[in-house]
Amino acid sequence: MLQVRDLQAGYIRGAPVLRGLDLDLVRGDCIALMGRNGMGKTTFVKALMGVLPQISGSIRFLDQEIAALPPYRISNAGIAYVPQGREIFPDFTVEQNLAMGRIGKRKQRNEPVDFVYDYFPVLAERRKQLGGTMSGGQQQQLAIARALVGRPDLLLLDEPSEGIQPSIVQEIAAILRRIVEQEKMTVLVVEQNLDLVRRLADHVRFIENGRIQSGVAVEEINRNPAMIGRYLSV
Amino acid sequence: MEMTVLIGLDAASYILTLLLVCIGLVIIFGMMNVVNLAHGEFFLLGAYTVVLLQQYALPFAVILLIAFVVVALVGLVIEELVIRRIYHRFLDTILATWGISLALKQLVIVLFGPGSQQAVAPFAEPVAMFGITYSSYRLFVMGMAILITAATFFILFRTRVGLTARGVIANRQMAACLGVNTRRVDRLTFAFGSGLAGLAGAIMAPLMSVDPQMGVGFLVPAFLSVLVGGTASPLGALWGAGIIGGSNSVVAAIWTPVVAQIAVFSIAIVVIRLWPGGVTGKRKR
Amino acid sequence: MSGYSRQLTVLFWAALIASPLFLDGWNLGLLSQLMIYGIFALSLAFIWGQGGLLCFGQSLFFGLGAYAMALTTKDMIPGIPATTLTGLGLAVILPAVVAGLLGLALFKGRGLYGAYFGIVTLSAAVIAERLAINWSYIGGFNGLLDIPPLRVGWGSWQTELYDPLPFFFVVLVAALGIYLLLLRLERSAFGTVLRGIRDNETRATFLGFETAEYKAAAFAVSGAIAGLAGALFAVQFAFVSPAILGFALATEVLIWVAIGGKTVLLAAFIGAVAVKSVENVLSDTLGQYWLLVLGLLFVVAVVLMPRGLLAPFLQLPLPRALRLSGSKEE
Repeated sequence: MLQVRDLQAGYIRGAPVLRGLDLDLVRGDCIALMGRNGMGKTTFVKALMGVLPQISGSIRFLDQEIAALPPYRISNAGIAYVPQGREIFPDFTVEQNLAMGRIGKRKQRNEPVDFVYDYFPVLAERRKQLGGTMSGGQQQQLAIARALVGRPDLLLLDEPSEGIQPSIVQEIAAILRRIVEQEKMTVLVVEQNLDLVRRLADHVRFIENGRIQSGVAVEEINRNPAMIGRYLSV
Repeated sequence: MEMTVLIGLDAASYILTLLLVCIGLVIIFGMMNVVNLAHGEFFLLGAYTVVLLQQYALPFAVILLIAFVVVALVGLVIEELVIRRIYHRFLDTILATWGISLALKQLVIVLFGPGSQQAVAPFAEPVAMFGITYSSYRLFVMGMAILITAATFFILFRTRVGLTARGVIANRQMAACLGVNTRRVDRLTFAFGSGLAGLAGAIMAPLMSVDPQMGVGFLVPAFLSVLVGGTASPLGALWGAGIIGGSNSVVAAIWTPVVAQIAVFSIAIVVIRLWPGGVTGKRKR
Repeated sequence: MSGYSRQLTVLFWAALIASPLFLDGWNLGLLSQLMIYGIFALSLAFIWGQGGLLCFGQSLFFGLGAYAMALTTKDMIPGIPATTLTGLGLAVILPAVVAGLLGLALFKGRGLYGAYFGIVTLSAAVIAERLAINWSYIGGFNGLLDIPPLRVGWGSWQTELYDPLPFFFVVLVAALGIYLLLLRLERSAFGTVLRGIRDNETRATFLGFETAEYKAAAFAVSGAIAGLAGALFAVQFAFVSPAILGFALATEVLIWVAIGGKTVLLAAFIGAVAVKSVENVLSDTLGQYWLLVLGLLFVVAVVLMPRGLLAPFLQLPLPRALRLSGSKEE
């Protein structure tokens, strides 16, 4: 459903962070993207969402070229984004935050959002609470729920474990796994946290110097954790 | 006693008029971070629309609606041609809208001449209340100011469009990534704020001499109100209009309008010194 | 392009100095008037281009200078002798003090900046105009007439500069002197700090600079120069009116400087001279359309050429002391 070919992207003209990245995703894939800091993980997700100033190459999603589209069109094409740092709307209530997730989408605009409360009961209890007053873990759940109400085909998660205590990370990983299975969601998650990756992903791809270098199934990592060091340590 | 009532009513009238002028300004300034110095000319265009349309014996309510739409469309065009190119250059928005103000004013002079025109109030019978008589049209203007402010707040805080606009203001990139067409929101917000200025001009037209300079008179008190009230929330317009309009009317009633202006300016500077973000402003930076 | 900026700058001033050879008295008078506007534009370009302070009420200082000159030389201020020198002195000092105090009031502590500064200065100018209209001692709406010409000399030998030629040279000396003074200031340590504040005030504060005082000082310098321009204006026209304090003139000077280029002094100066000359030529043929065209031109310049039309050609190279490797002037 997603084919990325020779993607070059970055923040400044002439200094691309991604240098000819190729990646294929099939519907139902749940892939973790790992790599050391500065290798282009976040840049890649941002390039997919169309928020980078410099981009060239091809991104095909559901038979549509999206590399040149503005972010709102990409979102409407069916890609949802949970950014690093969550970026929820702190002055909006939980309900309003969720409303923002489908407000720009013609098809989903009038549909109920209640199904996400089944996955995230903690949000159901706090519908009227301001997003900014919640804990980091709750905000992360809100950001994921906000992405889901738009009924995306592909979910992009950037460092969902960042700044969240381990027990909550496990909980979030379990919820995400349930969502992947029940909603038949395709997921691409950028992550450093091996625990979350092992609980959530089926496959791992490693990014290095702006390219996807190799990939393995998660079972492989489970069998041989040492191999991860090759990609993640300096 | 009658004197006090009269001064009170005049003060209320001035405050609410100022509020009427400010509300569009605060929308554009606070939500889009654009200082629109052409606001006075949008006001002017609204007033001239009334003068023009009254020749065709249309109902006044229809004329007001048309004035809103016409000026909103002008705002839309200006947003598309000029403003969208300079959203990220804050100071340049003042300069560019300043130039637009100059050009629009001159356009009105070219089209209608520099002289003043007269708009007719749809009703003018004085009403007796609290032992005095007061212009019924002034009372209508006051009612409209309250109504329009309430409607604006309702749209911003109780509707989907308002939520979208506030979401874009809070985090433009995230809103775009959630599927919101931010360009469309910009256009609508600017057009809405412009339309409000036009509506204010249309409502005020029967009370003023409609001439090319009429927008300037409101520009300074309106901007001082925005500074004093702050732009973090549209509530700032309420505070600003209250403080600036109230002190202006009271001082003008006791001394002279010039003293009032100087007093108001000094008050504004003091308030801005104490609350740099305005009375409603957040204490950031 | 800026390779010839030095030659162009010298050429421009040389042409001005030589202009009495080609121009008759009437046109010299016109040129003096244009140079006065040029001085006024310099005052705004300094505060705006170097200090980043967008002053929407520069006419306030111009008008203060003009009124100070008029009132002094007409012997209307008790206790101050009615001479050219005291008039000029007051026309420089009064606006400088007003600007300095206003600057301190606005910038000290959690200062206000950007748009707020513009709105406050605009309001100040509008209110000053209203005040002058309603103050009958200084002429009210009609302003002051019969302002005496400049008087130079010592003791018993005194002469009045009625003729256009000596007045032209006075204005030329003032213009060139102020240009060189501002250029020197711009290229001094003071100017460097000012640009540092313009580009990033927080950083300048962290580096230990009292940014409020720097900005207020620059504002005072700018006010003084605008006041001098106003004084010369009052002398040349022998007439001042409240209009020169207000809104319309404040707008004009902004347009000149924006079109010429705010960061380059000479560009702003020529911007004033050029726009005013074109106006003299075109306002008859275009009539009411002239202001429409000027307004639109201004918008285009702001949106598409924020550096101004002339600045790229007249940007002087940095002095050697400020030329670090890799540094470039904005």
